[in-house]
Amino acid sequence: MTEGEGAGKQRHPVLEIRDYSLAYGTPTGPVDALRNVTVSIRPGRTLGLVGESGSGKTSLAWAIMRYLPANAVERSGQLLLLGEDLRTKSLGEIQNLRGRRISMVFQDPGTSLNPVLKLGDQVAEVLVRHRSLTPKEARDEGEAWLARTGISRPSDMMNRYPHEASGGEKQRVVIATAFACNPEMIIFDEPTTALDIITARQILDLFDDLHDETGVTALYISHDLGLVSRIAQDVAVINQGEIVELGPCEHVFVRPRNRYTRDLVAAVPRPDHRIVTTEPGSGDDLLKLDGVNVRYGKGKNVLDFLQPKREVVHGARDVSFGLRAGEILGIVGESGSGKSTIAKALVGLQDFEGAVTFGTKSYSGRRRIDRAYRRAVQIVFQHPDASLNPRQTIGKILSRPLKLYDLAPRAEWGRRVRELLKSVLLPEDYAKRYPHELSGGEKQRVAIARAFAAEPQLVICDEITSSLDVSVQASVARLLVDLQQQTGTACLFITHDLNLVRQLAHRIAVMQNGDLVDLFDSSEARAPGRHPYTTQLLDAVPVPVEPEEAAGAA
Amino acid sequence: MNELFRHPAGMVGAGLLTIIALAVILGPFLAPYDPQAFHPAVRLTGPSVAHWLGTDQFGRDILSRLLTGAGPTILFGVGATALGVLAGSIIGVTAAVAGGWVDSVIMRTLDGLLAVPDLLFTLLIVTILGGGIGEAMLAVAVAFTPGMARIARSSVLSIRTREYILAAIARDESRAYIIVQEVIPNAIGPIIVEATIRVSFAIMIGATLGFLGLGAQPPSTEWGLMVAEARQYMYRSPWVVAVPGIAIAVAALGFNLFGDALRDAFDPRRRRR
Repeated sequence: MTEGEGAGKQRHPVLEIRDYSLAYGTPTGPVDALRNVTVSIRPGRTLGLVGESGSGKTSLAWAIMRYLPANAVERSGQLLLLGEDLRTKSLGEIQNLRGRRISMVFQDPGTSLNPVLKLGDQVAEVLVRHRSLTPKEARDEGEAWLARTGISRPSDMMNRYPHEASGGEKQRVVIATAFACNPEMIIFDEPTTALDIITARQILDLFDDLHDETGVTALYISHDLGLVSRIAQDVAVINQGEIVELGPCEHVFVRPRNRYTRDLVAAVPRPDHRIVTTEPGSGDDLLKLDGVNVRYGKGKNVLDFLQPKREVVHGARDVSFGLRAGEILGIVGESGSGKSTIAKALVGLQDFEGAVTFGTKSYSGRRRIDRAYRRAVQIVFQHPDASLNPRQTIGKILSRPLKLYDLAPRAEWGRRVRELLKSVLLPEDYAKRYPHELSGGEKQRVAIARAFAAEPQLVICDEITSSLDVSVQASVARLLVDLQQQTGTACLFITHDLNLVRQLAHRIAVMQNGDLVDLFDSSEARAPGRHPYTTQLLDAVPVPVEPEEAAGAA
Repeated sequence: MNELFRHPAGMVGAGLLTIIALAVILGPFLAPYDPQAFHPAVRLTGPSVAHWLGTDQFGRDILSRLLTGAGPTILFGVGATALGVLAGSIIGVTAAVAGGWVDSVIMRTLDGLLAVPDLLFTLLIVTILGGGIGEAMLAVAVAFTPGMARIARSSVLSIRTREYILAAIARDESRAYIIVQEVIPNAIGPIIVEATIRVSFAIMIGATLGFLGLGAQPPSTEWGLMVAEARQYMYRSPWVVAVPGIAIAVAALGFNLFGDALRDAFDPRRRRR
């Protein structure tokens, strides 16, 4: 380095990646994971790396950490940490570097902590290894770090095992470990994706605080554009291994230049952009739940006397609501709030108590549900990979409801299957394919087509967009709404994505710990008098920046 | 299937199995001598032009005996396994689908049986039923049933909560449709693979029973019996024991390699895209 040390070093990027290309060797030949990636992060800045699944964002993180699988081939480029190329370092040097100069926070704190070591020992470990502290000093220092991450009783937490802490607490411990050696750079790989909405929000706030406090340089990997626009100063958009757009957040999100970025930004659900235009039919409720209870762990086994103190858990407690024909009702809540339990009870997969009235008929339990009800109420599941039988062709899967409910004569099946495929915007020749030949979004379209094949009056959608990428998510949601409007089918849309549900639902029900705590019109989400939990949920979700509007302001 | 033959172990296994299949089908026609004919002049000789693999203690041609014995030996292994797999799968699928106490009762009983080693269990059954190739086959099949039931059950359990099964239940499909159309096609992979591997065990147990005099009876040319009959001449003429012994090992190896390759081909994580 010929530049002046002091001031020159400050302007130098902490991490600089130059023309980096990476491929994975597979039996069918090398597959490119990263192509000519060039990015740099200046000291104290946060770079958001945004991309869909399979775009190569995690590969980049592993490449920086020098932890690539054996079949990875690095084609070109340099990975410079303060001017030193990480690619030329020996394993020993890299091991000294990891945790001390670069550390990483992973997606799922449940799997990134060792379940048989106490949390305190895991924090102290890095300090002993990299800062040569004695175990005693390391524990004290670790405890101080836990306190800084907002854990209320750090000395208590030091002596706990990972299973004795909540997801949010575990992620705080991981973050404390990452910050403990004052590294120059921290990589965050979707650190909030595995957490609940409200906990995720707290972790983000913690990130902000620690970032301000320590001035660490961060690479923040995420698929969530709203989130990145909130915490990062710069953003790099990655698509199929290539950085397609790079710049300050205000520019990239407000005036995206690249086509892919534009599509991605447009696909992000924004509560104000309603995609539902029709109003629900008036009149009597199509479906009515009256004091529905679902209990898990209820004794029904002859051998139950062997374990008399079996705990009974309420999946849903006294849930009552009505749904009109043609209405989309959103149910939101965190995981474990009972929203999926309600879906399972309504399609007869879970026993319940109380009364479900559909049309004019009332059902008082799972065994009372008849075929007419099962035809009229269809479900679409969360995981498109698991909801289609891998050994059946799409044609067979779609014609099954026709046969089962006797909706069309055999000769008509082919025509009807083609119509169904067309209605979900898939080519007709997909009828001959097997599920594994389709992408996730296409499979979810098939699952939706199967539900509508039964000509139902109500379709229950259980988190149908949450395992899909943002851009696919938007098209699936739009497709569902279109079909719903054409057929006048009512829809129960279960999700944890508040922005999405505000876009498409007529009314929104909020569940918490098995209780229905709030029910309101979508337009009144921000009206006064909402349940505090509803407000808390709404506040926890970052609403993405509006491209045009913000552009006007700027 | 292409997958299977690109796998080196699969290719070797398939090759060995082809040779063995040819021996089973064509063996009796290819045999140069009558397998039971005595040639007193050439007892316990090594390989020669007249007798490619030598002769045994009565001067019988070993190659001819090996070729005629392939049928009984291999069919014993395949037959015993097929019976065991069938019985085991029915029990396992029943337990998994029924669940609750039916499952508990069936599986705890089978766990008890599993605690007894296969060979010991087989011996016990043969002792009760009496010796003979049919009885031995039945005994091996019975001994295989608990293990196969356990595999079938776990295979079914792992897919029982998949969403496509839930979707079928929510659609109001009949139990028979769900089992035949949705469960079995997806659960059959591990069962078939395990069965292939077990054929080699069955051949070896059959050979052991033959060796102990509880399976095939003289003058049968079953391979295990050939080893047993020749063992007292092992020092004078190792050929007599080695040739049928190697044949057993090769057959077992063939089924084993083929089973391994089959397992890899069925496992999507090991499959090539």
